[in-house]
Amino acid sequence: MLMLLIFVALVALICINVPIAIALAMAGVIGLLATEGVSSLVSIALDMYSGSTKFSLIAIPMFVLAGAIMNAGGITDRLINFVSAIIGFVRGGLAMVNIGVSLFFAEISGSAVADVAAMGSILIPQMKKRGYSAPFSAAVTSSSASLAIIIPPSIPMILYASSSNTSVEQLFVAGVVPGLLGAAGLMFVAYVFARRYNLPTEEAFNTKRLRETFVAALPAFTLPVIILGGIFGGFVTATEAAGLAVIAALIVSAWYRNLDLRHLRRAMLDGGIQTAVVMLLVAASVLMGGFLTRAQVPQDIANAILGITSQQWVILLILNFFFLVVGFFLHSAAAIILVVPIVIPLIAAAGIDPVHFGLVVTLNLAIGQQTPPVASVLITSCAVARANIWDVSKVNIWFILILLTVLLLCTYVPSIPLFLVDYFYR
Amino acid sequence: MNAIKRLAAILDFLLEAFTVFLMVVLTVVVIVAVLARLAGESFSWYDEVAAIMLSWITYYGAALAALRRRHIGFDSVLLSIPVQFRMIAVLLGEAVVLTFFILMAYTGFQVLAVLQGSYLVSLTWVPIQFTQSVIPIGAILFIICQILSLPDYWQKTRDGISLEHAEIEEEVDEELAKNAPRS
Repeated sequence: MLMLLIFVALVALICINVPIAIALAMAGVIGLLATEGVSSLVSIALDMYSGSTKFSLIAIPMFVLAGAIMNAGGITDRLINFVSAIIGFVRGGLAMVNIGVSLFFAEISGSAVADVAAMGSILIPQMKKRGYSAPFSAAVTSSSASLAIIIPPSIPMILYASSSNTSVEQLFVAGVVPGLLGAAGLMFVAYVFARRYNLPTEEAFNTKRLRETFVAALPAFTLPVIILGGIFGGFVTATEAAGLAVIAALIVSAWYRNLDLRHLRRAMLDGGIQTAVVMLLVAASVLMGGFLTRAQVPQDIANAILGITSQQWVILLILNFFFLVVGFFLHSAAAIILVVPIVIPLIAAAGIDPVHFGLVVTLNLAIGQQTPPVASVLITSCAVARANIWDVSKVNIWFILILLTVLLLCTYVPSIPLFLVDYFYR
Repeated sequence: MNAIKRLAAILDFLLEAFTVFLMVVLTVVVIVAVLARLAGESFSWYDEVAAIMLSWITYYGAALAALRRRHIGFDSVLLSIPVQFRMIAVLLGEAVVLTFFILMAYTGFQVLAVLQGSYLVSLTWVPIQFTQSVIPIGAILFIICQILSLPDYWQKTRDGISLEHAEIEEEVDEELAKNAPRS
């Protein structure tokens, strides 16, 4: 009965637009008051402090900062030129370039919305000028940016790792193959559209041009090399890689002569605010989590579901459906912080690999960024393209189908995300 | 109304400056520690100090985010209900937020009183009262920021404008303007 009351209070507070962090914390307070009385309220100060001091989450401000410095640092044009030299000759070249650049961008920044605003504002106007429809341009940008959240570094993955006591490094590695697979799928859909609507090609393939653009973009590639090489090679932790990424971003921006104090201050501020917003959620989840653990709620849920079925594929199906529905209504960070601690005991009891499940959760939430009403990435793309959300969604369905296919493949063929993890770590 | 706006602008400036300062310090601490570790040296204070910096960024940044109404929420239901009920719901929501932070400030001061005489493990000259002061101070700042930003939120919500959408529009306009000469 108490749990029902708390759940109703949580949903009601979220529905009247109380910040989700505060709604979560308040639900925790109700639980504390009901079970342990007024004297337990001191947990508010204690949990809100300890929740905000999780060392592993220092990677979040550092990756956000590295991305913000790079966004301001003139890297976008060079990446676009380089990717255009590789695949611009294909029909629908600019759509391919859009997807390809998203992949590179994903290697640098953890925030899909910031990437869409920065990259989409250059590519979408170009696409429209070259005869691509506004809804198609927005759909390509939106779906490829969301796919990018499963490619390291990824803030949702850092949050998942922290919520589930899983290795963030292994999660990063698990995202690489599904990310490439998804990009190939998105490019296939873009190609089909390009043939059907006779969309233009860009420049003809030219080795000299490829070499020139590669050299121009070369300093920017130090970031993925540091992040992926450092982590995969076991030289640095995710937090250390994040620190190194900031150094590299500063050096590369200085190299491109695009580093000025105004941009740097803006990058620091963006990093600070984004971190605060996510960390307040994390701290609130510690307050709520303490109550849930003492009330044995996650264990009860695990037992209830295991009482119905212990088949891994059925449990994964139920959780996939659940996370897809949650993704309609919650931002990815909020969804992870709210739901993951509750379902982790079930995952452990069912014998599902937590790294595998982390990848499945992140992919679900990537799809959630494409589905209104809460779909920040889609809304940003629509705003850049000046297109109606409904028109964009009608095109975007095809790209979402690709993401769903990748999700099903990764869910039911665990070796797709895990074989690189097995190779590097197990 | 003008006094509220002026006060909000001053607080915005101060919190922005302090958040940027904290980010600079955290960045320097992380970079120095990583480079030192790669060079075979490690600092005993690094984990503790970096974690405290993160906590300070969380609460001073959260107050700034409250002033700018940037916390993650869900406004679709609120904006779809009739105006008179919507505004009652806004008042209720604001009351809940303020209640939580009043409790956090109150219990934060209780904890500070207990911590008198305690010092950090790695830096034994730093009182824990100083590092944990962020909880009551952050809570009070949040309350002030929430109240100062209420008039604008009230107006926008009454007019049916989503703050998140307005913020995205603003960011997109800025990026489009920046890239206009190139596109």
